Order: sequence, then C-alpha cells, then structure tokens
Amino acid sequence: MAAANLRRFVIRRSVAAVILMVGVTMVTFTLTSLVPSNPLLSLLGEAGMSDPVAVARYREHYRLDDPVPVQYFTYMTNLVQGDLGTSRRTRLPVLDELAKHAPASMELALLATILALTVGVAAGTVAGMFHNRLPDQVIRVISLVGVSMPIFWVALVVFYLARVQFGLLAGTGRLPPGMLPPPTVTGAFSVDAALAGDWRLFRMATAHLLLPAFVLSIYAVSLITRFSRSAVLEALGEDFVRTARAKGLSGTSVAFRHVLRAALVPITTVSGVVFGVLLSGTVFVESIFAFPGLGQYAYVSAISLDLPAIMGITVFVAMLYIVINFVVDLLYAVIDPRIRLS
Amino acid sequence: MSFMTGGEMESADDRADHVLAKRQSVAFRSVWRRPLAVVGLLIVAGWVLAAVLAPWIAQYGPLQQTADIYAPPSADHWFGTDQLGRDVFSRVIHGSRITLPLAVMLVALASVVGSLLGGIAGYLSGVVDEVIMRFADLVFAFPAIILAMAVAAALGPSLRNAVLAVVVVAWPIYARVMRSLVLSAREMEYVLASRLTGASSREALFSEILPNVAGPITVLAMLELGNATLWLAGLSFLGLGAQPPHPEWGAMVASGALAFNRWWVGLFPGLAILSAVLAFNFIGDSFRDTLDPRITRAIR
Repeated sequence: MAAANLRRFVIRRSVAAVILMVGVTMVTFTLTSLVPSNPLLSLLGEAGMSDPVAVARYREHYRLDDPVPVQYFTYMTNLVQGDLGTSRRTRLPVLDELAKHAPASMELALLATILALTVGVAAGTVAGMFHNRLPDQVIRVISLVGVSMPIFWVALVVFYLARVQFGLLAGTGRLPPGMLPPPTVTGAFSVDAALAGDWRLFRMATAHLLLPAFVLSIYAVSLITRFSRSAVLEALGEDFVRTARAKGLSGTSVAFRHVLRAALVPITTVSGVVFGVLLSGTVFVESIFAFPGLGQYAYVSAISLDLPAIMGITVFVAMLYIVINFVVDLLYAVIDPRIRLS
Repeated sequence: MSFMTGGEMESADDRADHVLAKRQSVAFRSVWRRPLAVVGLLIVAGWVLAAVLAPWIAQYGPLQQTADIYAPPSADHWFGTDQLGRDVFSRVIHGSRITLPLAVMLVALASVVGSLLGGIAGYLSGVVDEVIMRFADLVFAFPAIILAMAVAAALGPSLRNAVLAVVVVAWPIYARVMRSLVLSAREMEYVLASRLTGASSREALFSEILPNVAGPITVLAMLELGNATLWLAGLSFLGLGAQPPHPEWGAMVASGALAFNRWWVGLFPGLAILSAVLAFNFIGDSFRDTLDPRITRAIR
C-alpha cells in the first residue's frame, strides 16, 4: 500500500514537473520571439543586422517566416538538442558557456546553502525556544535586517572592507592567478582538489569561496531562521514534546531529540527553494567578486543585453530549479508519508 | 512517525474561521503597541518628507555636475561625489522620488491584478480557475529575480519595463492567497445568508466577500513591498531598470561597484535602499501575526 502510494506520488510529480518544464520553454519562447518589436535585432544586434547573409541565416535557423506554432516547435527541437542559441557577445554557443560557468556557481550556492542551513536552523531554534523573550526579539530584528539588505550592496561593502581595508582572504576569482585548477571530476574546485589530495589547492579554492558564499547566504539565513522558528514553535505545541517534558527530560534533550527533529521535516522542504534563491542570487554577488560563475555570466549578459544568453540562463536555471524542487518533494514524501496522500 | 507535525490536515473551513477571526485584529489602531511598526513608519515618514522636499533639502541638482570628481565626503559634499562630480547626497535624496513611488505603485498593481485573478479563479472554479492558477504555478517555477531579469531584458531596459517585469513576478502570490480566501469565504454563513436573502453571486462577491478578504491582502502587500523594492533596485543594478543619468538607488550602487575603492559612491545609495526596505519589512512583519500561519507559509 505504502509503496503503491509512493509510486503514484512519484508519477504524479514527474508529470507535473515535465509540464512545468514545457511551460518554462513557452515562457522563454514568448519572451524571445514575440515581445520585442524585432526579435532579429535582439538576437543579432545592430552589427549583425547590417549583414544580409547573417540575417538570412537566422531567419532560416529560427524559421521566422513560419507560423508561431511551427517556430515554437523549432525552438523546442533546438532546445532538446542542446541548442540554446549563440551568445551575441562572445559568439559562442550558450550551452557551452553555461557548462563552463555552472560548476563554479553550483559550488558557491551549495556552500552558501550549507552555511545558511546551519546558521539559520540554529538561530531559528534558539528563537523558537525563547519565544517572545529577548533572544527571540533580537534574532527577529537581525533577520529582518538580513532580508532587507540589497545583496549587491552587501557584496560591495564586504568586498571593500575585506580586501581594501583589511587585506583579508584571497583575491578575486576562484584561485590565485597562476594557480592551475585541479583535474576535473565534479567541477567544484574545492572538492576536486580534495579528491586529488592537493591540500594547498583545497585551501586556496575554499578561501576564494568563503566571502562570496557568506554574502550570498545572508538572505537565506534570515529566511531559514524565520521558517525554523515557526517549525520549532509548532513542534513545541505537540503532545510528544509535552510527554517528553513530563517524563522529566532536560531542556536541551527535549530541544534536540524531539523539537528539532520534528522541525527538520518542514525545514527540508524549503531547502530546495533556498538553493534556487541562492543560485539566482549569484547574479548580484559573483560580478563584484569577479567569481567566474553563472551569476557573473548572467550579469555581463544583462549589462550587454545579450538576449540569447539571458534566455539560455533563464531556461537552464528554471529547469534546474524544477528538478531540485522535484527531488525535495520526493525526499519530503519519503520522510513524511502523509504527504504522499495529499 | 514520532516526528509528525500536526495541524497540516486542517480543512479549508477551519482555516477560513481562523482567517476571519484574526481579521478583526488587523485594525491598524494597534500600531502603537508594535514598536517595530512605529520605527518603520517613522523611517517611511522621513523618506516621504525627503521626497517631497527634495529640491529644498539637496544643495545640488541630482544631475548637476561639478569639477570635483570622486571627492570623498566633506562639509560641502556630505556623501562625496561620483564619477561625474555629482553630489551623492543630493542624488540619494532625489532618488527617493523614483524608487519609493514606483515600489508602492508596482505593489498596488501586482496586488490588484493578482487578487482580481485569484478572486475570479476562486469564485468561478472550473476551467478558469485551472488556467489562472497554472499560470501562477508557472511563474513560481522560476526563481523570481531570473524571471524578472528575462522579462525586463526582453521588453528592453527602462524603468517602466522593470516595473512591469516585477509585476509579472509578483502577482501570483496575491492570486494564490486571494483564491484560498475566496474559496473559504464562499462557504461562510454570512455569505450564504446574503445569498439566501436574494443577493446575486456577484453582489455577494463584492459586498460580502471582498471586504472580508481585504485585510489579509493588505498585510500581504505590506510584506511584499520590501521585496518589490529590492527587485526593482536589483534590476537597475543589472542595467535593466533606470538608465543613466537617473538617480535611482540601485543604479547608483552599480556605479559605485565600478570604482569600489571610492566607497562613498555605492555605500550611501545602498544604505538608502536598506533603510526603506527595512522600514517596509518592520511594518509588514509587525502585522504578519494577523495573517493565518498557513497563508504565511504559502507565501514563503
């Protein structure tokens, strides 16, 4: 029975995820081809437009003379084959650019997620246990400040303070100039360096990650703090917590073994959203730290209005976001069987 | 199974009772018992004054260039000058005339569009409901800033298009909340009573349901005002919103990023964004507890 439920749940969620993905491509297709007054101009740029050969090739490639449904079909066929168009700025296929920039951002966003989860869950638990007392109030104000700061400005301030004022930590980028990256296994320099057993390289790669990851995590720390606080409050009201207290268990024991454990279930559900928020937040952080990831690519593409690149990033990040949320949903269903039935 | 959290399975009706009971306390006269809300209101009042009195407060025009390029803060230029010798203090003060009204306007737009669509979806159900809510789901399938960036880039970089882009991203929250409010309010006794006394379904919607869901939507809009401001400033930072030489705060931080060792160019406009967003969030968060907890969770 339980297994059948789970299977039905997985199938239902997979279908929903695929439908969402198709929806995402419709949105980006609409944005690229229908909204701007002249899609060719946005794809080719002023310089490209003056070249009749290039114009003809693009019209042919995107079948701009066909009816809209056919154009969408062409767009989808290209997309499925990995053709996300050509960056107007670098003249390279967008897919190659994404593949080049994605690992750095994944590494950064993953570290920031871990950071945010650790600090956020801890702060949220404290706030919940001290409900409406001083620690709760202080944490509330701090986390409100956290969600109110423009992240690009925090990046700028932290960058200035750390690098210019205190000469702290490593320089910009992923590694010091001249240092060669480790052999690629995962694409995350810190992990790859550890796998290769090169600890100096590992230290360097990690040092370059710390500041941007810290800045990136601030907003998410506040989100998770608030969320875990309410999860803890909810758990505190449960019968089993009262029973544990009545049994005479100490406050910390109740906090860790009963309350936090119960609260972690809903907290897992937000971790997917948090990763998505952080991955898109790299747009504002990486450019300041000259960190060569997806965010910097997105920033440069936005600044130079490189529409094919922007749409490629949008499709890529949205797809990733859907997949992550799908996985989180499944995890949640495995941890909390009631979800399968709803 | 020992770590199940209860209360998730409550029926829509329980929720409705809860929302409507809480709604009574949305009365804004309780502002004075919420210290953070008072701080927030004071900051907002300060910015409104700054926006109204900008030409009198600022010693320089927002676009006025001087020979002092990148002058550090001094008695003459409190916040220093930027790459064109413009007075940063004057630009920050004038910037309040751009960011704040636009943020309020776009939240108003998003909440009206979103609640209308959500209200229609909840009231009509069926195909209309499906279509509207699947569109809302689709927007949620994107990380917000990425979709806003794509829309703004496709429409072309301008402040107006940035506002539209943020509205595109922001409306679904209102639609979701409004839909669930309407769904539960529809079954409330006073609505049934008004139907029984001969009110048409449209009359019931406008005279009974809408006034009763206005409170939660207002709180939601206040909670979202800070986010909207951040998104708008963020798009300008990416060059997709306000164009130079507009003294928009996000764009000013961007010019500060180009010369980061001239810290004053980016620091002060960023502080302006922070203070405004913080004020909005102080106010919004003070009234968060008047919302149903499950609605709050649906938002995040």
